Amino acid sequence: MNRLAQFEHSVVPHLDAAYNLARWLTRNDHDAQDVVQEAYLRAFRFFDSLKDPDARAWLLAIVRNTTYTWLARNRPSDLVPIDDQDLIPSDTETVGHATPMETNPEVILLQSANRKLMNQALEEIAVGYREVLVMRELEDLSYKEIAHVAGIPIGTVMSRLARGREMLRRALEKRMKRAS
Amino acid sequence: MSTPREPTDDPIIARDATYYRAPDALRQSLRKSLAQAAAGEPQAPRKAPPRRLAGAFAGVLQPFAGWRTAAAGLALALVAAVGWNAMLLQSRPSSEDLLVRDVVNAHVRSLIAANHLNDVISTDQHTVKPWFTGKLDFAPPVQDYASAGFELTGGRLDYVNGRPVAALVYKHRLHTVNVFVWPAAAMANAPARVLTANGYSLAQWRAGGMQYWAVADVAPAELSTLADAVSGSAAR
Repeated sequence: MNRLAQFEHSVVPHLDAAYNLARWLTRNDHDAQDVVQEAYLRAFRFFDSLKDPDARAWLLAIVRNTTYTWLARNRPSDLVPIDDQDLIPSDTETVGHATPMETNPEVILLQSANRKLMNQALEEIAVGYREVLVMRELEDLSYKEIAHVAGIPIGTVMSRLARGREMLRRALEKRMKRAS
Repeated sequence: MSTPREPTDDPIIARDATYYRAPDALRQSLRKSLAQAAAGEPQAPRKAPPRRLAGAFAGVLQPFAGWRTAAAGLALALVAAVGWNAMLLQSRPSSEDLLVRDVVNAHVRSLIAANHLNDVISTDQHTVKPWFTGKLDFAPPVQDYASAGFELTGGRLDYVNGRPVAALVYKHRLHTVNVFVWPAAAMANAPARVLTANGYSLAQWRAGGMQYWAVADVAPAELSTLADAVSGSAAR
């Protein structure tokens, strides 16, 4: 099997995952296509560096880097710096559950949120939180894989997930109040 | 990947947030640009002969000083060298591989470059065929096979297998089919052989003293249909 055939066999099947991540990070179909196209050409160039038989996390790391480079060039305002200092790594229980709203009403709220509101709310939160939520909830990546893709420690992955969920909840709440 | 779901996971996100699937247009343009990138990159470096080989022979030869042993060793080394060269030859892409790559590249190029597909645009074989006169040192058979589902849309000159060839362009449903034609080295007809490369289907056959290579992003069997139609008309 030549290199292209191998690449088509192991990397191309993850095109949906690549596109989904790029689409959520760029929030735009057209930009996502450009980014994925570029990321795939990069992936093909660096294909020899792939050791893992599962190419998904490897590919997503390239997609994420390509997206960030693209955002820095075209929409630098999207790149909100995240201060992980005030988050206590790995102490997700505290961050996630200490909030007074995190009880039944939240579950009811989330369950009644429809697709449109959810999409809008998720697009609204900062890209650093959005990406971990997308990778965890939509791609079903493990904490370890997310840490690898985003280049952050596992503890930070967990705290950003908790903080991201909290932000998403608030964004949803706001939108639902406005809608009703 | 089988990490247990943490209690804080929200199945609601997965339920309500859109999972964006890659559009077909992206899939197609990606395939093209990957094929292009693959065609543009240099051949994989040939493996250098392992140094260990020489060392191993030295080890065999050293304990024996006799001429006979030395001669035997030399003969062995010679056989090894010849064998090694034969292996190198085999590891080089075969002429067929190179030809296949030529055909695929020419096809991809014709689709990528604007206005490269057809130099003569006509569905009329009597317009396309004379266009080649004086441009090639042979007269390619040109025929429309619309009844078999392959509608002639035009032709152009291309360069495949180290020579100028006739490229006939057919439309098959929404797919573009390139058929490259040049005089065959052998006169005997050969039935269609189909293969795939880089996701494209290719068919190769010989009819009426001409070599044919057809390439398109359709199922291989569909190219066989075209090959049968062309061979059938060449036999008449």
